[in-house]
Amino acid sequence: MRRSSEGALVAGKLLHVALMVLAAIVFAYPMLFMFAAGFKPSETIFADLGSPTALIPNASWTLDNYRAMFEKGSIGAYLFNSGVVSLVTVVAGIFINSAAAFALAKLKWRGQGVALSLVIGLLIVPFEVLAIPLLLIVSKLPWIDIGTGAVVVGWLDTLHVQFVPFLANAFCVFLFYQFFKDVPDELLEAARMDGAGALTIYLRVVLPVCKPVIVTAAIILFLGMWNQYLWPVMTVHTSQARTVMVGLQQYYGRTTQWGEIMAYASIITLPVLLFFLAFQKHFIRSVVGAGIKG
Amino acid sequence: MTMASDIKHFGHARWGEVAALLGPAIFLFAAFVVLPFIMAVGFSFTNIKLLQSDHVEWVGLSNYTRMFSLKLVEAPAALIQEQQNPSRQWRQLKRADLATLDGFQYLTDVRLAGSHYLVGARDPQFLRSILNTFLFALLVVPLQCGLAFAMALWVNQKFRGRVGLRTVFFSPVVTSMVVVSAIWGLILHTDAGLLNQVLRAVFGEDAAQPDWLGDPRLAMLSIAIMSAWQGAGFQMLIFLSGLQGISNDQYEAASVMGANAWQKFIYITVPGLKRTLVFVMLSTTIMAFGLFTQVDVLTGGGPRDSTTTIIFHAVRVGFREQDIAYGSAMTLFFFLFVLLLSFGQKKIMERLGS
Amino acid sequence: MPNIVFNAVDKRYEDHLDRYVFKGLNLHLRKGEFTVLVGPSGCGKSTLLRMIAGLEAVSGGELTFDGTRVNELPPVERGVSMVFQNYALYAHMTVYDNIGFGLKILKTPKAKRHEMILHAARQLQLEELLQRKPGQLSGGQRQRVAIGRAIVREPRAFLFDEPLSNLDANLRGQMRTEIAQLHRRHGITTVYVTHDQVEAMTLADRIVALSRKGLEQFGTPDELFDTPANLFVAGFMGTHRMNLIKVDRANGALLHMLTGRDHDELAAAGIGTVGARPEHLELIPGSAANVQLVERLGAESLVHLNMTGTTDAVTVLTTDRLVAFGQGRSLQIAAERLHYFNAAGQRLSPC
Repeated sequence: MRRSSEGALVAGKLLHVALMVLAAIVFAYPMLFMFAAGFKPSETIFADLGSPTALIPNASWTLDNYRAMFEKGSIGAYLFNSGVVSLVTVVAGIFINSAAAFALAKLKWRGQGVALSLVIGLLIVPFEVLAIPLLLIVSKLPWIDIGTGAVVVGWLDTLHVQFVPFLANAFCVFLFYQFFKDVPDELLEAARMDGAGALTIYLRVVLPVCKPVIVTAAIILFLGMWNQYLWPVMTVHTSQARTVMVGLQQYYGRTTQWGEIMAYASIITLPVLLFFLAFQKHFIRSVVGAGIKG
Repeated sequence: MTMASDIKHFGHARWGEVAALLGPAIFLFAAFVVLPFIMAVGFSFTNIKLLQSDHVEWVGLSNYTRMFSLKLVEAPAALIQEQQNPSRQWRQLKRADLATLDGFQYLTDVRLAGSHYLVGARDPQFLRSILNTFLFALLVVPLQCGLAFAMALWVNQKFRGRVGLRTVFFSPVVTSMVVVSAIWGLILHTDAGLLNQVLRAVFGEDAAQPDWLGDPRLAMLSIAIMSAWQGAGFQMLIFLSGLQGISNDQYEAASVMGANAWQKFIYITVPGLKRTLVFVMLSTTIMAFGLFTQVDVLTGGGPRDSTTTIIFHAVRVGFREQDIAYGSAMTLFFFLFVLLLSFGQKKIMERLGS
Repeated sequence: MPNIVFNAVDKRYEDHLDRYVFKGLNLHLRKGEFTVLVGPSGCGKSTLLRMIAGLEAVSGGELTFDGTRVNELPPVERGVSMVFQNYALYAHMTVYDNIGFGLKILKTPKAKRHEMILHAARQLQLEELLQRKPGQLSGGQRQRVAIGRAIVREPRAFLFDEPLSNLDANLRGQMRTEIAQLHRRHGITTVYVTHDQVEAMTLADRIVALSRKGLEQFGTPDELFDTPANLFVAGFMGTHRMNLIKVDRANGALLHMLTGRDHDELAAAGIGTVGARPEHLELIPGSAANVQLVERLGAESLVHLNMTGTTDAVTVLTTDRLVAFGQGRSLQIAAERLHYFNAAGQRLSPC
């Protein structure tokens, strides 16, 4: 009697592990394949596709694809552009959005309710509706060139066209808003008794305690900017300001050198994956939290 | 002596402070969200082109009518007998009757009440894109939500490696859709792609080798499967939070009453997840309707317009063909539709209560 | 150091303009006194405190500090400090920075700031904890940091909003003593809000008893205990609730036993309720009442007795250890210990 139930238990566990492995394969394989393929010459990729050894390093693995990427594919420049766009968005975005959320959540002023409804309304508007008119707008906006100080008309083919429209993010404002609502009013009142004005309270009292939300907002903004595609495709046509995703699509369309394409894809995915793995606990916790309140 | 200001504005923040904090965001929203939106609405009633922003005329609803104009023409017996293909027939009819049929292209043919009709439309690609978009949503929503639900149920159990599994499930979500498309482009390759190789390995050398991205009947399905794979991890998290919202006490009480796992699932888990389920399904649907990137990277709207979606068509028309007035009209149609869906979701959620 | 005067003050909330929390309130808090605002929840005591602080608007009338109108002044310009119920400490700053935050905003020079922080810390035995963060402190320590933050700025008045409610009973007693000592040492005007009438009685120089209807009585603890102005104060103050016996037929026998008069006599004299404290009632041999419940409180016992016909039980505090359930007793009380209230609930002078 006992032996059979023990056996059943072990069999059950093995089945479970097998399922886990299968699921992991289905979900991880494409990414792992991409990483492995980056090291293979393009011919071997196809030959290897069906074989189980596809993921195991062997003699034919080389760095040629990666070298080609940096030399021919100017991926270095694209990485730099994406990096600048993403990081500026993260830093500026955190301040801009949290400050707005603070004003909405914790200060008292006329028209506060209306402003809040407007911001929430913005959440529904899909970017695609705005894309084309936005294109017209940015093609006519002036900009001060940091290098020369001259005023330039039109933002196309620049780095700033890819992030300035997105610094204010309604979802991030909403995230911060929900968090700030939970900050006890007493804390702000104590600061007021200490003589702090609204700006001081925002910077010194409230912002320092919302680290989890800051991390979540940072991840959302970073991912959004790094993986952005439609808008850069529309606004940047020269390679100078091009970012990695557009670069990949260009490459994908122009070449059948799959090894190089995979190397490219690996390079641009690595920062994101590493970033995610580092912060995943935070991130998953707050997406789950946002989901509940959503 | 009472001052009205005592009651109303005491403790209110000074406008300078509010402006400093809220100002940048409001300014950015106004310039880059509100303004374009208003412009889009405006454009849709004009004939503005991308590179010629002068010579703009008010055209009223003609962009909208263009989207939906249909003409039904009875197929003349003579042509049917000749067994020409329908679009040829249409072109012949058009040559014959240019006045009524000018600007209309062949869309499809239908048989109604015994008669055979040819249907022409001003923008058959748009109408087809609506169909395609619905088809995509119909494919991807059950697939992605079902997958996410199963994954959430699985990962909610306590076992070793559960966090690792959850991470693996979620990792496609953080990857760019462009990258995902590129990889799957390789996997779905007709000859050497992994999927077909697996089929060959499992079913032998004569197994069907579908042209996943080149066959008009399969392309949308392929994109749906890929999108579900990429997005399920995100919905999984939403389900997880819903599952964790069901208090353990309910399960324990059920255990005491002798319920088995299946009964617990049916009577506790599923009802407890009603709201979450509605939220996930509707938000996935809304996201599905905006399908663009995968199409742009993998199929360019083809083969034979089978993967053209509303947004893809709108961007193609508005941006690549420079007809931004018409493109705006289409995106606004899209927006209204999404708005309706969101509104419907809100109503359903309210009905479901707390 | 101000005296704080409320002159015909009204208070309404912005979203409920039809409801007056206070109407025409007149209150004069004297310089250097420890005033306690006490009352059940919802009576507006915290609102009153926050009006003094500057966190709530004064809807009507005038609030003055030493004769100067402060209605429009923001908190920091009034020179008051406040200690909150949930401490409201800055979780990401050390104790040192928490205490010194207000000084930093006032741009006090670093050296002077350091001196003042140490001075405050010493008074509250916080020197060892200065580099810790609030998360690493116990409840009592956190409360002391909150008090330290309040005293470091040498304010003109201290405001406490139910500061001890979150502490356990033992700690509460300890902190109560420390707060009392602090006041004795500095002599700064203090306004203290609590719902615990024991705290009120032990800490206060004078008590403001508030009910949902408004100010019920303002006086020293002794005054409130010995001569409560109305039924509310009578029933609220005192460790054990005063027995309030309605003057009606049902309570006739009880009333007669205690006062020597019949209920119609009392009614004719305008008396609506008779009050007798459990501490002042005595149990004497007899069978007028029956013991229903004996609560042993250590040296004393609280005995609940019932008389046929009476609406409520009468409670008596006694040191008699032999009282038990079911026994019969009679009651007596010294005439001067009786409280008389008219039909409207107001105190009547003895007659």
